[in-house]
Amino acid sequence: MKNFNTTFRLTAIAAAMLAAYGSAFAEDDDLEALTKPDSSISVGAGYWTNDRQQQGIFDGMRDDHGYALIDADVVKRDDATGTWFKFETDNLGLESRKISAEVQQQGNMGGFISYSRIPRVNPLKISSGIQGVGSENLRISGARTSTTDSRLPFHDVDLATYRDLVHVGFNKNLLKDFDLKLSFKNEEKNGSRHWGLGSAALFTAEPIDSTTQQLDVTLEYTGEKLQLAGGYAGSWYRNKNDMVCAGVNVNNNPVNCLTATGSASSPSWTPLSLPLDNQAHQFFVNAGYSFTPSTRATLKLSRSVATQDETIPSIRLGGVNAPFSGAPSKLDGEIVSTLAELGLSSRPTSKLSLNANLRYYDVDDNTPLFGFVGNNTTRAVTVHNTPHSYETKSGKFEASYLLPERFKLIGGIDIKDQDRSAPKFVDERYVPFVESVDETTYRLQLRRSMSETLNGSVAILHSVRDGSSWVAPHEPNTLRDGGSIYDRINPLHIADRTRNKWRLSLDWAPVEAFSLNFNIEDARDDYQREDGRPFGLKDGRASLVSVDARYAFSDNWQITGWASHDVTRAKQLSGRWARNTTSSVPNMLKDADLNDTGDSVGFGLRGTLTAKLKIGADVQWTRTQSSYDEDTSAARTASEIPLADIESRLTRLSMFAKYALRKNADLQFDVIHERWKTDDWSWSFANGSDFTYGTTTDGTVVSNKPKQTANFIGARYIYKFQ
Amino acid sequence: MKLLGKALRTCAFAVLAGSLFPALTATAAEKEAPKDIVLTGDAKCTSCHDENDSPEALRIGKTKHGTVADKRTPGCTNCHGESEKHVKEAGRGSGPTPLVDVGFTKKNTATSAEAQNAACLSCHQGSTRIFWQNSTHARRDVTCASCHTVHDGHDKVREAKSQPEVCSNCHKEQRAQFARPSHHPVPEGQMSCSSCHNVHGDNPSQLQKASVNDTCYSCHMEKRGPFVHNHQPVAEDCAICHNPHGTNVANLLKARAPYLCQECHSHDSHPSSLAGLPTDRAANSNAYTVGRGCVNCHTNIHGSNSTVNSATAGRFRR
Repeated sequence: MKNFNTTFRLTAIAAAMLAAYGSAFAEDDDLEALTKPDSSISVGAGYWTNDRQQQGIFDGMRDDHGYALIDADVVKRDDATGTWFKFETDNLGLESRKISAEVQQQGNMGGFISYSRIPRVNPLKISSGIQGVGSENLRISGARTSTTDSRLPFHDVDLATYRDLVHVGFNKNLLKDFDLKLSFKNEEKNGSRHWGLGSAALFTAEPIDSTTQQLDVTLEYTGEKLQLAGGYAGSWYRNKNDMVCAGVNVNNNPVNCLTATGSASSPSWTPLSLPLDNQAHQFFVNAGYSFTPSTRATLKLSRSVATQDETIPSIRLGGVNAPFSGAPSKLDGEIVSTLAELGLSSRPTSKLSLNANLRYYDVDDNTPLFGFVGNNTTRAVTVHNTPHSYETKSGKFEASYLLPERFKLIGGIDIKDQDRSAPKFVDERYVPFVESVDETTYRLQLRRSMSETLNGSVAILHSVRDGSSWVAPHEPNTLRDGGSIYDRINPLHIADRTRNKWRLSLDWAPVEAFSLNFNIEDARDDYQREDGRPFGLKDGRASLVSVDARYAFSDNWQITGWASHDVTRAKQLSGRWARNTTSSVPNMLKDADLNDTGDSVGFGLRGTLTAKLKIGADVQWTRTQSSYDEDTSAARTASEIPLADIESRLTRLSMFAKYALRKNADLQFDVIHERWKTDDWSWSFANGSDFTYGTTTDGTVVSNKPKQTANFIGARYIYKFQ
Repeated sequence: MKLLGKALRTCAFAVLAGSLFPALTATAAEKEAPKDIVLTGDAKCTSCHDENDSPEALRIGKTKHGTVADKRTPGCTNCHGESEKHVKEAGRGSGPTPLVDVGFTKKNTATSAEAQNAACLSCHQGSTRIFWQNSTHARRDVTCASCHTVHDGHDKVREAKSQPEVCSNCHKEQRAQFARPSHHPVPEGQMSCSSCHNVHGDNPSQLQKASVNDTCYSCHMEKRGPFVHNHQPVAEDCAICHNPHGTNVANLLKARAPYLCQECHSHDSHPSSLAGLPTDRAANSNAYTVGRGCVNCHTNIHGSNSTVNSATAGRFRR
């Protein structure tokens, strides 16, 4: 009876309370879940079974060991003040980690700080005797002779660079419609990069130890009709290394570029220049004004000055590395960029839209001309610095008209007129230059959009690029036929060119559960090769076909798939001449047909097996192929072996299962199978052996691993809260 | 004991009745004046589109739009219009429900892209969106809602890892290029499309900066120079030699050396050499294709500050 009464009492009160408040509490919980920011913290571990030299270049999981998997996305909001508190980490347990924190009172002020690291690990295996990697003094393994042995002990060289970025930002609403934004980035880049000695194919590594800083201060006004943004953008590059001294070891002589022996073209110790400190300061104003809801004008103005005036380190060298006595110790480099752009957009009728844009962009290299190399006896200068300037005026006009059935016809024309500088001294022009380039592009597109089931477009583009008279390069050889060798090519970026491109895209969604996207495009470039200048690119082609589809079997099961095929092709004609020939007629014509092909297929599956268990799988298969068909007008020698095709394949299958332990906690398992295969011969000799630097010295062996298969298994606990 | 039980029952009933009464009266009052659920003035909509009818709509509370302490944030009608016909006729009669004045889904075919974007731009026209109307996206009927999920705390296009998935819905060519062996770390989530592109702007190729080079210098400032010896195409446009999205050749090169170099350089001696691999180490003086190709020797190809008094000082070897 006592039990009965107790039970009854509790049950009755509970029932009463539940009836009164229970549903309200549940409703509140449901509403909170729907309307309050979500947060989650994920902690777990994963393991790769093998090294992933190619696929692990950037993702921080290159090697075959375990990794901590830690992510957090904590977002809280104080609803009373509208203040957000965010804390986010991504890949915290990996080299590729990111972490950020932000406090933002919405509509008033806020700030954030973030840190991220981007690793870039060289995928090649390098075995070398080189000493001093990471420093400014590099000693390359020497040769063994009958009297001396200058070889250095070999070891593995791991090349990698790491970017550590700290980003700090602040914003403040000053007055109604006025905002101040500050952003400062400091990036430290460290490591070593694959490099060379300069005079011969010998292995060195460029030491990377630099700081990049960027400061942006922007004051913005956002009114109903007028919007303004103006401010300052400054950037600084500081390199802690300014020159490398490298050379082949001989009897362990000390590394010394100051008093090197030999000759200027082949010194005992070679000074290799590095990028010097530089900085840029920019002031800018962006403005937009809406005359009416359908007519708007914009203005963009900016002026920036980039300078490089650090003392050139090699100027202090002696011996055979001594500079020209008239060379300045600083470049006093200065590039002034000016941008002015005026835009207008208008919809004079509900069916007609117009856009116009005029742009002036001037990159003016004001660096004074100095003689940096010359004859110290005659004082004659042979090599100057080489400033390049470009003044580009461009205009765009586009009109679109709405036709019946939601079709829209768009037509446009782009005009570009560029004035370019050419090196002043003919002996320092190694290729032909042009002093102006004009390009006119016509575009026409018919599109249907904003339809519930069928959208698409077909577009064509035609552009013609040509230039002024050419500025001839030097011709160091005295040719008996009076012709030219250097002046017989059309450099690809200034060559006269006709481009034709078309694109068709189609989006079809007959029912809500199914959608299909189809895209095909083709671009062809035809380079006009004048009679006297036959060499260079002849034509190019780029085409792409892709299909994407999505189908939802039910609310719980969905499948996606995509496939694409793309081809990039370039045909180029080149000549070959012997050293110091006296004839402009090449001894061999080379007609190359270069093809790069890519095929990719992807599938994705997402499903809910039970109320607590969700699963997913993704498959990606990619094959890239490169071919180098080259016809020659003269027979190849036995050692001139045609290049083989290169094929690389990536197959990646990833699967996950997520089980809801509780309403606010999941357990997730991930499995990945990854297979990379390539026959890239870039680091091979013709006989298939690994490439080895040097002929009698160095001996650095470089290779890539043609097959890389790795499996990953991971598990993580995900805690969710609000 | 019976008395005790009766007393408890009476108490329980009293608690129940007392609790339910205000709830019942409140419900009656609410019917007369519905309360807002998330946004200021949203009761006009959420009286129907509540957590049972449209839970996805209420998720706007997770976003900055749902921060009502910020008095600038909109109510439903600021974006969707007053939609009086929809309010009056929805759910009544057997005919189709009239659409809201400004809709952002495919169902709302009557709302033009300009009208959709105008709803967003009425607040968001400033800052990096000043030039939106002249952007390629705007001129091709791309709407804000084409890319942004406004009613969700996690907008895919604003998160680096998921952003490429949104962009590749249209940009298939770039998706294919990112699948190539040499690519910027976008698939790995270390960069996103918006690292280089301001998709709301009108710069060439909708880049963040005024030119290709200025955009590249943001991260590759060591290439900015000016150098003593500038390599002309480098100073003009990085994209002459590199495809930033991805290529088959290391370092994002559009073509392999010596072919790439021979698109500009064709003259006597080794610059016009036939592409081919050395037979072995003894033939390394012909290392123009193997390894780093021409850059085996011309190692400072982006520019050099060498002052060594050599006739070939301007050829980026030192």
